[in-house]
Amino acid sequence: MIARVRAGDTQAWGDLYREFAPAIFRFCRRAMPTREDAEDATMEIFMKLRDKLTQYDQSRSFTAWLYRVAANHCWDMLRRRKARHDKDTEDIDDLPIEAPEPNQLEKLIEERTSEEVRKALDKLGARARMALVMRYYSDMSYDEIADALGVRRPFVGVVLLRARHELRQALGENSALAVGGTR
Amino acid sequence: MSELENTANKHLDEITLLLYVERQLDRDSAQEVSLHTQTCTSCMTLLRALDRESRLLTRSMLEEDEPLPARLTGFQARVKKSMQWIWGLVFGLAALGIYALYTGYIEPAEHELEQAGFGGTNLLSLLLFQGALWKGWQSMFTSVEFVALVSAAGFGLFLFRRYLKRASALAVMFASLGLLAAFASPASAMEFRKSDSIQIKKDEVIKGDLYATGENVRLDGTVDGDVYVAGKQVVISGRVTGEVFCACQSLRIDGQVEGSVRNASNSLTITGTVGRGVTSFSETTAIDLSGKVGHSITAFSKSLTVDGTVGGDVLAFAAETNIAGNIEGEIRVHGDSLSIGSNASIGGKASFEGNSPADVASGAKLASPITFKKIEHTRNARGGGYYVWRVIWASAFILFGLVLLWVLPQFSKEATGNVENVGASFGLGVLVGFALPIAAILTCVTVVGLFVGLSAFFLWFASLYFSQIVVGAAVGSWILGRTNETWPLVGRMAIGILILRASMALPFIGGWIKIAVILWGIGAISLAAYRRLQPVMAPNIPTPPMAHVGTPLPPNTTVSGV
Repeated sequence: MIARVRAGDTQAWGDLYREFAPAIFRFCRRAMPTREDAEDATMEIFMKLRDKLTQYDQSRSFTAWLYRVAANHCWDMLRRRKARHDKDTEDIDDLPIEAPEPNQLEKLIEERTSEEVRKALDKLGARARMALVMRYYSDMSYDEIADALGVRRPFVGVVLLRARHELRQALGENSALAVGGTR
Repeated sequence: MSELENTANKHLDEITLLLYVERQLDRDSAQEVSLHTQTCTSCMTLLRALDRESRLLTRSMLEEDEPLPARLTGFQARVKKSMQWIWGLVFGLAALGIYALYTGYIEPAEHELEQAGFGGTNLLSLLLFQGALWKGWQSMFTSVEFVALVSAAGFGLFLFRRYLKRASALAVMFASLGLLAAFASPASAMEFRKSDSIQIKKDEVIKGDLYATGENVRLDGTVDGDVYVAGKQVVISGRVTGEVFCACQSLRIDGQVEGSVRNASNSLTITGTVGRGVTSFSETTAIDLSGKVGHSITAFSKSLTVDGTVGGDVLAFAAETNIAGNIEGEIRVHGDSLSIGSNASIGGKASFEGNSPADVASGAKLASPITFKKIEHTRNARGGGYYVWRVIWASAFILFGLVLLWVLPQFSKEATGNVENVGASFGLGVLVGFALPIAAILTCVTVVGLFVGLSAFFLWFASLYFSQIVVGAAVGSWILGRTNETWPLVGRMAIGILILRASMALPFIGGWIKIAVILWGIGAISLAAYRRLQPVMAPNIPTPPMAHVGTPLPPNTTVSGV
């Protein structure tokens, strides 16, 4: 199908869109702050894709490549809006991460539903959310995440851990559960 | 001993456990974590919690909680459908524009030329078949036809390039080149002369065409063919059986030219005989008392004086026209003043379009009274139709822009972005705006280059319009804020174009605004095209190292308390 799309087959392009648009929209929906942003981003990604397809190496996974394009596009959009100001400053990166209490963390995770997690994701800073989406939605490698976010590879684990802490904080906001500071 | 072993009796930190869950630890470190968690309940619980957290995250994100929005479901279909009516509207307005152009400019010009006795059925046949401007058109006709065909084929190949395999494209290209070679006409005998001072002596006879360049060129002998001459002072006192094409400071014809004279010079003086017509782009054009022109005169001059005899008509676009000789055909003069001397004789109709009626001496013999039409200064007398057409043109521009943004979205956006790079765009615009048409004309001189030249000229012409669209889009973006999305950009482009077109309609400064916008836009387009032609870096080329934040950590280090 990709070869046909590259050759200018509009039918194939339609098939590709139908097959991948839902997944890319969901990716954008998780990564972007609003539904409208996600819709815009999805359309722009597919418009961009027509030009970018020439760069795709057919020996590698198309889905992985597509997610990389989507991640780069969403992150560019977020960066342009300077939406990272809230929780993604260097100052916060330098703060120590407080270790959680294992049992309480386990309880928190057990009690939370998928919907609550999605709502909590919306409260995260752009970089934290982007990192979690890249890793746990599109299964991107640490190298790819480092490349997309523009951070050093060894720092990716820290970014993910901080993102999890932010998420736990957001999940625990309406709960009596405390997940940190007891180990 | 590793750090992990050192912490055997303590708990492992969370990042180590996370990297373990994520399979990011090296083999040894992973084994140590595995051993530790077998004996440490707390770390095992945290490890399990992290793993469950990962799965919860994946599950939450992958769940299809909302369907694909209708906006995205119909994304492609809607674009296609919306473009259907746009195409209809675009073609409708384009047809209207062409009709306006034809009725407003081409038809009156054609009518005037016909009235002046050129007798062509239309302007194209006049140019191509009667050789009003250049005899060469007649012999070049098959080549022009062929080039037009090749251009159309090239355009077709470009449009359908995706369906053509490389071999077939090559075959088409070679077939075209073969046809081009087959159509090329054999070279005829010709003689080249280049010197400061060239003289063809009285008894010298040149068989074939003569190409001469020099400061002073004097032809006293005979040329049995055409003469192509470029110089400062050119005098033809001998005989030319063909035609004369001249670009010089002054051309004087004392002898005999059996064909036509096509001339661009400071001054043209004819005291001898020209068998056929004269086309002159000169500051002064003069047919002296003894001068004879067999057919018509077409002059674009500051002053035209006809004291001699003209066998055909006179069509003049001249500030000042003086006629004291004998004109057997009609005269049509457009300019400031027309003076008919007492010895003048005009066999056909006479009409003059100027500021004040012609000054006709009492002894002049005219077949009919001179028809006078006062030049209307349209700038001060704009009717309602003028504004209607301006609105139609502005709409046509917006639709043209819409099509461009749809057909070349990325390129249009890049060009619009480049508008903000004022210095580079304007500088490049001046260079390309003026240099490209000159280069195109020069390229057209050769038959093979004609295709390239015409294509370049066509591109330049198209860019005159495209430039206004990109500048319009940029102006709209300054007002409403920048956007990278197509439809909002279309809205901004429409507003920008309306503002620009309104500015261009202003008296006195409107013309300058238009020139500035065109040059600016052409520069922005050229910049975008230039950047497109730059080689793209392969995706696997390593990127430059990121700015370092602190000391890099070894891959297997635990990052406790970062």
